[in-house]
Amino acid sequence: MSEGIMAVVKPEMKSYIWIQTADGSIQQVEEEVAMFCPMICREILQTGMGSSKNYAIPLPQRVNPPIFGLILDYCRFHQVPGRSNKVCSVLSVSCIASLHISGEVLSFLFLGVLVVGGTERKIFDEKFVRMDTKRLCELISAADSLQLKPLVDLTSRALARIIEGKSPEEIRETFHLPDDLTEEEKLEPLKNIADDPRIRLLNRLYAKKRKELRERGKLKNVEVEEELVDERSVDDLLSFINGGNEESKEVKTNKNKKKNRRRKDQLKDSSSNSLNGNHKAFDSLTSACRDGELTDITLSTPSQTSKFQGSTAASFSPKLEFDDSDSDDDLDPVMKEELDREVEDFARRLNSDWPQRMQEILSLSQQRRLLPVSMNGNDSAHRCTDFGQQIILQDQ
Amino acid sequence: MGDLALPDFISDLPQSIIESILTRLPIRDAVRTSILSSKWRYRWATITHLVFDENCVALFNERPLAENSLVKFITRALFLHQGPIHKFQLSTTRLQCSPEIDQWILFLSRNDIRELVLEVGEEEWFRVPSCLFNCRKLTRLELFRCEFDPPLAFKGFSCLKSLNLHQVLVAGEAIESLISSCPLLESLSLSYFDSLDLNIWAPNLKYLCLEGEFKDICLENTPLLVSLSVAMYITDDIAEHFEQSSSCNFIKFLGGVPLLEKLVGYIYFTKYLSIGNGPARLPITYSRLHTIELCQVSFEDMKEILVVIRLITNSPNLKELQISGSSNTLAAIEARDLDFWEKECPSDCTFKQLKLVKMTDVSGVPHEMELIKFLLTSSPVLEIMSINPCAFVADRKLNMLIELLRFRRASAQAEIVFDQG
Repeated sequence: MSEGIMAVVKPEMKSYIWIQTADGSIQQVEEEVAMFCPMICREILQTGMGSSKNYAIPLPQRVNPPIFGLILDYCRFHQVPGRSNKVCSVLSVSCIASLHISGEVLSFLFLGVLVVGGTERKIFDEKFVRMDTKRLCELISAADSLQLKPLVDLTSRALARIIEGKSPEEIRETFHLPDDLTEEEKLEPLKNIADDPRIRLLNRLYAKKRKELRERGKLKNVEVEEELVDERSVDDLLSFINGGNEESKEVKTNKNKKKNRRRKDQLKDSSSNSLNGNHKAFDSLTSACRDGELTDITLSTPSQTSKFQGSTAASFSPKLEFDDSDSDDDLDPVMKEELDREVEDFARRLNSDWPQRMQEILSLSQQRRLLPVSMNGNDSAHRCTDFGQQIILQDQ
Repeated sequence: MGDLALPDFISDLPQSIIESILTRLPIRDAVRTSILSSKWRYRWATITHLVFDENCVALFNERPLAENSLVKFITRALFLHQGPIHKFQLSTTRLQCSPEIDQWILFLSRNDIRELVLEVGEEEWFRVPSCLFNCRKLTRLELFRCEFDPPLAFKGFSCLKSLNLHQVLVAGEAIESLISSCPLLESLSLSYFDSLDLNIWAPNLKYLCLEGEFKDICLENTPLLVSLSVAMYITDDIAEHFEQSSSCNFIKFLGGVPLLEKLVGYIYFTKYLSIGNGPARLPITYSRLHTIELCQVSFEDMKEILVVIRLITNSPNLKELQISGSSNTLAAIEARDLDFWEKECPSDCTFKQLKLVKMTDVSGVPHEMELIKFLLTSSPVLEIMSINPCAFVADRKLNMLIELLRFRRASAQAEIVFDQG
């Protein structure tokens, strides 16, 4: 430590370093506090700046004035002897004599403990990081640019605690992240996440969906998409909905191209059905996607009594078309969007809790016409019926 | 709050900060950040610390399923990972030895692994593949329950600083040569070995922790040793072996550690040290030794007491002393060789920094009391002398107390705390 740089230090007075923040304003900071930041320390030692107003040390871009204030608080607390930066320890020690000690620090010193005890620091640290997420992010960014590693570690831990255990939506909300993964990206198999039966199922769904999209894409190039008109009469549809087993079997065996479309229309119309909110039946609206059972997805006809047809794999999910023979060339863009939305919703559901999902589904009944079956990993053997669907579609 | 209007405030942070945050998350949460947004898609894939345990995957009750899911998770994570991996830790009891582990280690050896901690199942000990020995940059290695067999051509880990082998099946010579071929080794921990015969040659070794049945240990070259913790289990045949040897264990063990600061000896440590004939005066002074903890010191064995005295008197800067006795309560209560104390303990010996003495399992045998007396008279700054009588001496407690009262105390602040337990 050359004496030249130390020329500013007058033993009787507190010495200050001049710092220029990103907004151009210049302020004075107590030397020992400023020296706690390695970046500032180095600036002083290497370039000799900071000794006067004209030669104020410019702070990096990421450090704005309020955050700098926070950082100074941190430094002020932690630079009490024993914790000072190795490079500047000599300087700090020499300044102790002239230290204008804040009340907090003074009380510690009076306790006879010159090195602030581990727990005292911890308590301070815990309190220090209690701030909103945005500020935490700014703080970590600023600490990193000032190379204040202990503060970076502290804020990293705080941010990790915030992220841990949250669902993706919650995280996105907390940090204002854009939900901008493209359809394809979202559909990429979730290889990463734990091997959950739900995840495996989702992967399979996605695989199917991707295949559909691919084929659709191919077909788009080949032929012009036609506007499909559903020519079935309303009567037909109603009879389908209100009909008996044979009808559903018909649906099942009828590998009509328009199956999807028809199903979709059926659902729109079935809102006229008023079934009581049969929560028991709704409970049965569990994993449509049991392993291997999604071979055939049809709508079983609704009946007031929960009649489960053994023959019909009655899970509700029109978009989940697992029949290979079904070609996709009749899916128009609107349909595609609907399907995409469902897939997304499906993914979201994977992450939320059962009661939450129930609420969601019930509340979404207004906005959405097609709703995926919620998955709660419940290995219930119940068949899904339209009961759930009708509950959903009930106008609340 | 217009979410769309506000830019997100975390995605643009530099990768080093993101890594700092992600490594503090459990691996499962870190990986899940990939579906947050497009920028976060592969952010997790470059983190350099991978720590896996049973919590990574959903719980299964059946063993094969659980194992399978964990294996798949780790394999996928490694496969999707990009860039160097500096730390890999796997601690689980669910995973039995599985061929995937070998592949993971191979993968890691190609990715600059620096810290490797492997603790797998308890039933089958997994055999360390030879690719482990190609991890040139390894600085920390911790292995639990495995078979370790370095190839003949193995030249050691040149960067290894910390080695921890727990219940590892390995030949004695292999360990010795491994230790001596790791020049930067600072911390060594060997536990639960069978009849190990060790010559430790580690010029940079600072922390040593030994636990198990050791036949013979010689700290041949450990001049920088700072902390020593030893738990010896001496079986009968080991004891016999000692009968025959004449080399002084004390010197072999503690003869070359002048910088020692902390010494902890469990179970038979003092017995072990007492074996062999040593010189009248120890040639070494432990000027930095500030904490000594000795367990199960038998106060009927003169040799063990001698070890304790030697140790203490050669540590002028001792600050804290803990001794727990193990005397057979039915043994002799009569004084024997009491003048031994005057012979061995120089009267001018003072412990200028000794502040805390804790005697546990005190049974009140004469030599024990003599030791307490000696400590009280030689510790001018003593603050607390804590005495915990052992459970079997209910009737002798009073006598003990009476004796204690008489002892002269060099320190005016000394408190004798008699803990009734």
